[in-house]
Parts: sequence; structure tokens; C-alpha cells
Amino acid sequence: MNLDKDVIPLNNQKKKKETILIVDDSDLNRAILSDMLAQDYNVLEAENGQEGVDILEELSKDHPDLSSVLSLILLDIVMPVMNGFQMLEIMRERLWIEDVPVIMISAEKDSANIERAYDLGVTDFIARPFDALIVHHRVINTILLDAKQKKLASMVADQIYEKEQRSSLMIDILSHIVEFRNGESGLHVLHVRTITEMLLDRLAQKTTRYNLTPSVISLIGTASALHDIGKISVDEKILNKPGKLTDEEFAIMKSHAKIGADMLEGLSIHQNEPLVKVAYEICRWHHERYDGRGYPDGLKGDEIPISAQMVALADVYDALTSKRVYKPPFSHEQAVQMIAEGQCGAFNPLVLECLTEISDSIRDEMGSVDPTRQNRREMQTVLQEMSRHEELTASERTLQLLEHERMKYSYFAAMSKEIQFEFTTSPAMVSLSSWGAKHLGLDEIIMDPLHSSKVFSVLDADACRSLSNTLRSTSPDQPDICFDCQLNYQGDLRWTRIVARAVWSSDEPPRYTGALGKAIDIHDSRMRLDNLERLASHDTLTGLLNHAYAKKRILERMNNRPGSSYAMVIFDLDHFKSANDNYGHSFGDQVLIYLADLLRQSIRGGDIAARAGGDEFVIFLEYKEEIEAIIDRIFHSLCGQYKDFPISISMGVALSPALPRDYDSLFHAADQALYTAKRSGRGRYCFYDDTMSDTFCATVRHDAPDAAEHQKEERT
Amino acid sequence: MTLQECYAAMGGDYNDAIGRLRSERLVQKFVLKFAEDGSYSLLQSSLADSNYDEAFRAAHTIKGVCQNLSLTRLADSSSALCESLRGGTPPASGLAEQVSADYQETVSAIQAFREGISG
Repeated sequence: MNLDKDVIPLNNQKKKKETILIVDDSDLNRAILSDMLAQDYNVLEAENGQEGVDILEELSKDHPDLSSVLSLILLDIVMPVMNGFQMLEIMRERLWIEDVPVIMISAEKDSANIERAYDLGVTDFIARPFDALIVHHRVINTILLDAKQKKLASMVADQIYEKEQRSSLMIDILSHIVEFRNGESGLHVLHVRTITEMLLDRLAQKTTRYNLTPSVISLIGTASALHDIGKISVDEKILNKPGKLTDEEFAIMKSHAKIGADMLEGLSIHQNEPLVKVAYEICRWHHERYDGRGYPDGLKGDEIPISAQMVALADVYDALTSKRVYKPPFSHEQAVQMIAEGQCGAFNPLVLECLTEISDSIRDEMGSVDPTRQNRREMQTVLQEMSRHEELTASERTLQLLEHERMKYSYFAAMSKEIQFEFTTSPAMVSLSSWGAKHLGLDEIIMDPLHSSKVFSVLDADACRSLSNTLRSTSPDQPDICFDCQLNYQGDLRWTRIVARAVWSSDEPPRYTGALGKAIDIHDSRMRLDNLERLASHDTLTGLLNHAYAKKRILERMNNRPGSSYAMVIFDLDHFKSANDNYGHSFGDQVLIYLADLLRQSIRGGDIAARAGGDEFVIFLEYKEEIEAIIDRIFHSLCGQYKDFPISISMGVALSPALPRDYDSLFHAADQALYTAKRSGRGRYCFYDDTMSDTFCATVRHDAPDAAEHQKEERT
Repeated sequence: MTLQECYAAMGGDYNDAIGRLRSERLVQKFVLKFAEDGSYSLLQSSLADSNYDEAFRAAHTIKGVCQNLSLTRLADSSSALCESLRGGTPPASGLAEQVSADYQETVSAIQAFREGISG
């Protein structure tokens, strides 16, 4: 890092030279730029993004406003350790990009890189190889432009404050007198003013309908302090009465609006001052309602001046959140909700929209009302206002229509508490409704979502691709899809249904250009369904499948793989009745649970095992060869002892190749074989053959007579 | 050997360089410096270590410098190598060798030029 080489110490420069930081990994490239600029500027150099960030960090320690010590950064893209884009990201996070303009210089010419650079906030992009003269001029222009813009902004702001400052002092004193009589907190006037201005700032961003220039907003804010001056004529006993007012008292209370206005109208001088005019509107009409049911004049809709509409809303909000003689304070959230639900008067929907949109900032601001903060906020408004004027090229009418649609959409989106999204393929970008973004912990706008690790942390990469493919495989005629997946709601994995419509261009052939839709949380209903399904399909005692569900699975298996060989096995416990009789039913249940566990352990993953009822169990397995060895192994692993009770089973087996391929035949045959096994003395297994079909004189095929005999001995 | 002749030997475009950088002094200064730049040896060592990300950056730097100085021949071959290395993949065969050959020619031309002006 060359902080101190080549450079005159920043604090005691004799002649004030502007400073430029060059970030490039090639010495030679830095030297060329430095050589071109060193005559007119101080030059700092960094070899990569990390060094660049270190320099900015160092400078910003002593100079919170970086622009006072650094006028411009020339930045390369491809560098080791930290590349130019990464450095820009950090500059954005730290808000340095607001202070210092950046010109990107790179041999990367593809437009995606250039676009990304501009998106990240660079002022200009110069391609390599560059022309020395052009670099020189762009550097000068960028520095000049930036300085001009900053000076202009501060000049405008200065003018506004000077003009208003003195009068606002007088007004504050006057309005405090009114508050003092009302027994309100001394902050009411300040709160109303702050909220009014914040709401107006927001409204000005949303619409040009009310001509809300920064100075108009400031004027309304100042005048808002006078909204209750008429209360000076209302008896203190009524003002501070804790209980409900009588009709008569309420009529007197209501008169304060008109009286305040009359007081202003009666001023012998200053009648033409804008401040007096606005204060008149506010005093007279801050208790009107948008639906026309307010007082004193019953004005309706936009007949009520926007100044009075805003103060009315701010007044109601502050009254709700403050303690009054007749009520405890409500929380910020309660207040906003009560207002939005129309419990506290009727307001312009656009104004309500402003309130819900800046609800968080209002809460923060009310936590720390500080008169000096007003300056900074107003400054931002001025800058936004200035930059907005360039955009007003389309016809006003079209803009208003668009604005109206956008307002409607975003209002409903905010109210619906849904995750709504819009995806475009070019630029590859997804934008989320603000509620949705907050809920998922994502940004409202995400570039290149199909390669974004942030997106993948919510919806995993495979699911993202699969969703994208599903959308792409729609057609303009059938563009709607329904896609179930698990979303990670900041650590909480929940089943979610994405309902979306693919957007196809009207060209021929149509192109897929994106999608819009919403995500619905279906976790609870899905879990209920899973659970119900589980309950319906499993035996509650042993946790094995129940008979009906096993049958369904077996039929599916035979349908899906008709070429395979299957064995249907039915077995039951010998002398189970004696276990119940001798040790009680709960012991019998334990034996069944124990046997079910043995069964689970002795079959393979794909096999189907079920409790058919009572002490009877079913196994269904697919085999290739050596079925007898498999059956023999299962049979032996199920025999043994549970506590004092010797476990012995009888088992019948039917093999599919030898029989008609249907469930009932197989089951029936296995049952016949089981019967044969029992008749032959229990404790054995027996394969079905044709001789059993109508007669019970079966040939018994048990390859383990010894084991069975052995068990019989044990039992006695 | 004049700077112009040196450019001819390097396969560069003298007029373009002067046109953009606007000063024979500057061009000469940086051409002489070019031979000392470490990017080429970084490229060689990272290729030898199969560290293709590092090699990409080194090739990218060489390309950028060459473009700035209008060393067209080496700019072209290093640009081709750079693109082939993008994304950390091994280079297509022949590209690295071409860069080496062009680089050696460029450096020996600069060497000859240096001897000419100091001798």
C-alpha cells in the first residue's frame, strides 16, 4: 500500500490538490495512470481490492465524510485477493460509494460486466486500451460533477432551513402553550411535525399529484405545530376531563378547529404568507374525515387539503401512542393496525399506504425524536426530488395511470401478507414483495437468482432448477403451474406451494421471459395430511403397516414391476392365546411389539411387512433366486424367547410364478400353506403347492424340523 | 534502433500507442518498464503449478498492459490464453507456447532497443 510514498500528507497540503485512488494489480497499469494524473492530483495506489478497502478504512477513521479527502477512485476488475466488484460491494455496504465517485477501468468488455459495474454504483466505465486524453477529461468531469452536485444539495438545504428556522422557533413556543393547557406531553407538537413530514416525504415519492416539493413539505411540517391553537378557547375542565364528554361538552371541544382557523383569518397582517394559509387549512380541517363524516365542514376525499389529511393522521397516531387522561398508550404496532383497520377515522388509502410503508421508520424515529435529525432527512428529500425530475419524460397521464396501478398492487401486496414474486429472465432478477422479502430474510431484489447462494439457502439449488424448468416447460396457452417444495423461513423448514404463471412474449415464436406468482405456506395442512395418512396406513400397536395399506402397496408393487417374482408370507404366533391367558393382555401386546421389531430387523429395505390383525403378520418380498434360503433365514430369526414366553411361529408361503398374478390368489394360497403348517404341528413353515388348493392333505415342506422340535421341547 | 523500429519488431502498433498515450516519452518509459514486469513469470509459475485462477489473472494483466501499450501481437495471444483460462480451466494446447514465443520476441526487441539508446 502506498499511503505515504509519493503523497503529500493529507492534513497539511499547501495547495489543495484533489486526491485520486488507483486500484489495479499491475504496477505498469498503475504507473501509466499515475503518470498521466500526477501533475494535477495526489495519487494513492492499491494493488487489489483489499488494499483499496484498507486505505478507505484508514481515511474514514479521521474523515467520516470520505469526500473531504478523496475525490475519485479508478478501479480495475480482475485482481487477486479481492476483485473490483467485491470492493464495490463493500463500498456499498459502508456507504462510501455515496461519498466518492468510482470510474471502472477494465479490459473486460462484455456488457454484463459493464452493467454490473453500473448497478453497483460506478459513475463511469472506461475500456482498455484507453486514450490518455479521455481518461484525463473523464476524471476531471467526474470530480467536478460530483462536487457540484454536493454543493448544490447543501445550498438548497441551507436556503430552506434559514427561511424556516426563525419562524419555527416562535411557532414552537406558541404551540407549547396550547399543549401545556391540554396536559399533553411536550413532545406532541414535535411528534406530529416529524410524522407529518415523514408521511409527506413518502407521498412525494409515490405521486406528483399534490406538488409536494421539499419546501412545501417543510412548510406543512412547520404549520402542523399550530393544528390545535383553537383549543386555547376551550375550557380546561373539558380539555382535561378523564371520563366521556357529554354531547354539549363534545360540541365545545369540536369548536376548536373552526376557532383556530378564525384566529388565523383574523390576523390583520401576513394574510398572504404561505405559512398562514397552510396553517389555516390544517387548523380548520384536521378533524375532517375522508368519507365526509368529519367536522366542522364535512369535506370529503381530496376536498380536504393534503396538509390537513396528513396532520390528522399524525395527530391520531400520536394520540394513540401517548398516554392521555382517558386512556393508556397503545404500542406502535397496535396504533398502526387500528388506523389501518379504520378504527380511528377514515383516511385517504394512499395516505394509509404511506403509513404502513414507513411504519418501521416511524417507530425508530419516535424512539429518538431529536430536532437535529430533521435536517438530514430533509436533505435526502431534496436529493431525491432533484434526481426525480429527470424521469418525468413520459406523459403525465400515463405516469399517473402507471403510478395508480403500482400503488394498488403494492398496497394489496402489503396487506395480504403473502410472499409474492416476479421473475424476469433478462436481466435475470427476482423481486419479492416487501413483506415476503422480510419474512424470508432476503433482499427485495435479487440479481441472478438461479446462481445466488442466498436464494439457495431458502430454496435449495435442485428445487430452484426444477422450478425454473417447470416454468420453462409451460406454454403460452397453459402458463400456470403449481409447485410444492420446502422453503427455509430463516431456519424453519416448511412445506410451501408456489403458484405461478409463466410469462411468454407475444413474439412469434413466443419466448419465455419470466414469471410471477406467490408462495403459500401449506406446511400445517400438509403435516396434518401426512399424519392422517400415517394413522390410516399403520397399525398403532406395532407401527407396521396395516393390512389394508399393505395390500395397496403390494398391488402397486406388482403393477410397477410385473416381471418380478414375489413371495407372499403369512405367519402367526403359536399358542398366543396362552400368553394372553397366563400373563395378561398387556404382556400379549408386548410380545407382539417384540415380534414386530424382530420382523423389521429380519427383512430387507424394499420388503413390505404388515400386521394383518391379531397375532397374524404378512410379509411380501421380491426375489430372484434362493427363496427357500431367504424364508428359512426369516423364519429362524423370528423364533426365540420373550421373557418367559417361548416364541414359535407357523408360516405359510406362496410364490407368484406358480400362481395367478393377483393379490387374492396369492393371499389365499399363503393362507392355505399356513393352515397346512399348523396342521402339521406348528413351529414350521410350509410352501404352497397345488395339492393344497382344495384338499388339506398337504405335503409339508419344512426344512427345519429339528428347530421346530427343539422349540417344542423347550416349551414343555 | 528507434522506438518505432522496436515496435515493428515486437509486432506492435506504434502509431496507435502514440495516438492514445499522446507522448513518445511516456510510451518509451513504459515499454522499457514492460520487460521488468513480473506478470509473465507469475503466469509461467502458476501454469507450472496448475493454478489456473492465478494464471488467468496474470494473463489478464499481460493482456491489459499490452493493450495499453498497443503491443498487438502479444496482446492477441495473451488474450486468447486468458479466455481459455477463464473459469479456472486448463488452457487449450499451444496457447501458452504462443504467448511464450511472443513474449520472448517482445522482450528481446526491448532489450535491443535499450542497448541502442544507452550505447
